[in-house]
Amino acid sequence: MSNFFKLISNELTKIFVVKSTWIMYILLAVIIIGVGILNNTVGDIEKSYEADTWRTELEEENARLTQEMEDESYLESYNSMVIEENNYYLENDIQPSGYGAWHFILENQMLLSLVSLLTIIVAAGIVANEFRWGTIKLLLIRPISRTKILISKYVSVLLFALFTLIFVLIFSGIVGAILFGVEGMNPYTVLEKSGGLEFVSVIGEIISGYGYQMIILVMMATFAFMISSVFRNSALAIGLAIFLMFVGNQIVFFFAERSWAKYILFANTDLSQYADGNTPWIEGMTLGFSITMLLIYYIVFMLLAWIFFTKRDVAGN
Amino acid sequence: MSEVAMELIDVRKTIGKKEIIKGLSFTIEKGEVFGFIGPNGAGKTTTIRMMVGLMKLTDGDVLIQGNSIKSNYKEAVREVGAIVENPEMYPFMTGAQNLAHYARMIPGITKERINEVVAIVGLEKAMKEKVGRYSLGMRQRLGIAQALLHNPSILILDEPTNGLDPAGIREIRRYIRKLAEEKNVSVIISSHLLSEIELMCDRIGIIQNGELVAIQQVHDNVETDNLMQVEMEVSPRDKAIELLKDHHKIDATEMGSKLLFQLEKENIPTLIKTFVKHDISVYQVGITKASLEDKFFDLIGENTIE
Repeated sequence: MSNFFKLISNELTKIFVVKSTWIMYILLAVIIIGVGILNNTVGDIEKSYEADTWRTELEEENARLTQEMEDESYLESYNSMVIEENNYYLENDIQPSGYGAWHFILENQMLLSLVSLLTIIVAAGIVANEFRWGTIKLLLIRPISRTKILISKYVSVLLFALFTLIFVLIFSGIVGAILFGVEGMNPYTVLEKSGGLEFVSVIGEIISGYGYQMIILVMMATFAFMISSVFRNSALAIGLAIFLMFVGNQIVFFFAERSWAKYILFANTDLSQYADGNTPWIEGMTLGFSITMLLIYYIVFMLLAWIFFTKRDVAGN
Repeated sequence: MSEVAMELIDVRKTIGKKEIIKGLSFTIEKGEVFGFIGPNGAGKTTTIRMMVGLMKLTDGDVLIQGNSIKSNYKEAVREVGAIVENPEMYPFMTGAQNLAHYARMIPGITKERINEVVAIVGLEKAMKEKVGRYSLGMRQRLGIAQALLHNPSILILDEPTNGLDPAGIREIRRYIRKLAEEKNVSVIISSHLLSEIELMCDRIGIIQNGELVAIQQVHDNVETDNLMQVEMEVSPRDKAIELLKDHHKIDATEMGSKLLFQLEKENIPTLIKTFVKHDISVYQVGITKASLEDKFFDLIGENTIE
C-alpha cells in the first residue's frame, strides 16, 4: 500500500512541478480577485445592516431601486428581484445578514466550470504525455502492474481536482473576507427557488451548489482520462472533453423529443433537476434513473481506459 | 560461467499479418556482455520491448532468472534494468528528481544507492539541472543510472553509445565490462555500430529480418592474435563438425559449403591429420582474418535496410 502512495506522490509531483499548473492557479486567483474587486466597486452591495435601523435601510434601498428602474428601464428585472427579496425580509421580519465572504464563495461556484477545465487538461495529459515524452517505457518496466499505475494516475487526477476546488473555496473566502468582511458563522439568505423565495443557509447552498457541479467535473475528467488512455493523445482528449462539456446541454435539447434522449450522459449530469420540486428535463426521468445512467457511463469509461492501457503494446512511435 | 540469466524460447511477434520476429531462441549467461546487432528494422528494439514486457509475445517465452515474463512479470522484470530506444526522461524535472521518481517505484532503494549510481555515471554536477538542458550524452548516462538503481542482474541497453563522445564511449565501455566482471551482471547491448560492440562484448548475436543469423564469440578474437579464423571446405561436413568438437573442442559454423571456426595456427596441421585419418576429404583450407564487421556484412549483405 505504501507503494501505491509513492506512485501517487510521483504523479502529483509530475503535475505540480510543471509551470503550466501554477499558471492555472495564478489565473484562478486573478479571476477571483477580479470578480471580488468588480463586485466591490461596481455593484451596490450593502455590506451589513444595523440591528435597529435595518428596516428603514431596506425601505430606503427599495425606494432608490424603484427610482432607478424608472430612469433606466434595462435595470428593471434585476432591481425588481432585489426589491422582492427585500420585501421578503420585511414581511417575515428577518434581519438580512448582508454581503460577505460566504456570499462571495457561493457566487464563485460558477468558477467550478473553470476547475473542470483545468482538471480535464490534467486528466487528458496524465497518460498521453507519458507516451509523448517517451517516458512510458521507463515507467512500465518496473515490478508494478499496469493496472496499479493507471489507478494511481486516475486517483491523482481526482486529487488535483480536489486541491483546486479547495483552493477556490479558501481563496474566495480570504478575498471575500478582505473585501466584504465576514457575515457571521452561519449566514442565511433569500434565494429564488422553484416554490418562490425561500430563506436558506448560505453554507448549505455552497455545499449543494458545489456538490452538484462536482458530478459533471468528475464525469468529464474521467472521459478525458479515458480518451487519453485509448488514443494516447492529449490534444484530442482535451478538445473532445471541453467540446462536449460546452455543447452537452444543447445536445440534450436538440434531441429532447427523441425517446432515447434521456440516455444521453448530459441529460443526467445535473442532479439538481430533481431537488426542491424542480421538474426533470425529460418526462419520466427519476433520480434513481440518472444515478444508474451516470454509473453506467462511469464504468464504461473506466473499463475502456483500463483495457487499452493494460492490454495494448507499447510500440514505437 | 555457464549459468543462464536470460533465455529466449522461440520468441515470435506478429503485427497484423506481418511476422516481425520469426522464432528467436538464445540464452544469455550470467556475467556476459551480449551484443545484439542487426541493421535498422531487423527487430532489435521489438525483441528488447518483448524482453521487458512492453510488448506481448505472440508466441514463445522469455525467462529471466527462471521467471517467465508472461506469467511471472513482476519477479522477472525486477531483475532487469533497461533503456529502451532513447533515454527519455522528464525534461521539466532535474536529474535528481528523475532518479527519485524511479527510485520510488521499487522498494528498498536508499538515498545512498542513488548517490552511488550517480557517481558511477559521473553526473554529480548535473543533478540539480533540468534534464531538458542535458546533452544527449548526459541523458544517456542518466538513463544508465536509472537502469542501475535497483541492482538488476540483467542490464539491457539499446544503443548505449549513441550521442556519446569518444571519451564517454570509452568510459561506458569500461564500466560495462566492470559490471559484468565484478558484479556478474549480464549486459545486453544492441547496436548497429559493430566496432564498438566488438570491443565490449563477449558474444554477439546477429539479427536480420527477425531471425537470428549467427551467434559469434568475439572476446578471444580480440585478445589473441595467434587465433585464426579458419575456413575449410571438407566433406562430409557433419562428421567434420563432430570431430572438431571431440578432438579440439571447437564449435564450427557452416557457411555454404565451408566450415568456419577459430584455431591456433600451430594446430592446423594436426587438425588436417585428424581429418585425413578419419577419411574426410579436405578440398581447401583458408585463413581469414576478417573483422567482425566483414563477417557482419558477409552474413547479411551490405544494404539491408528495409
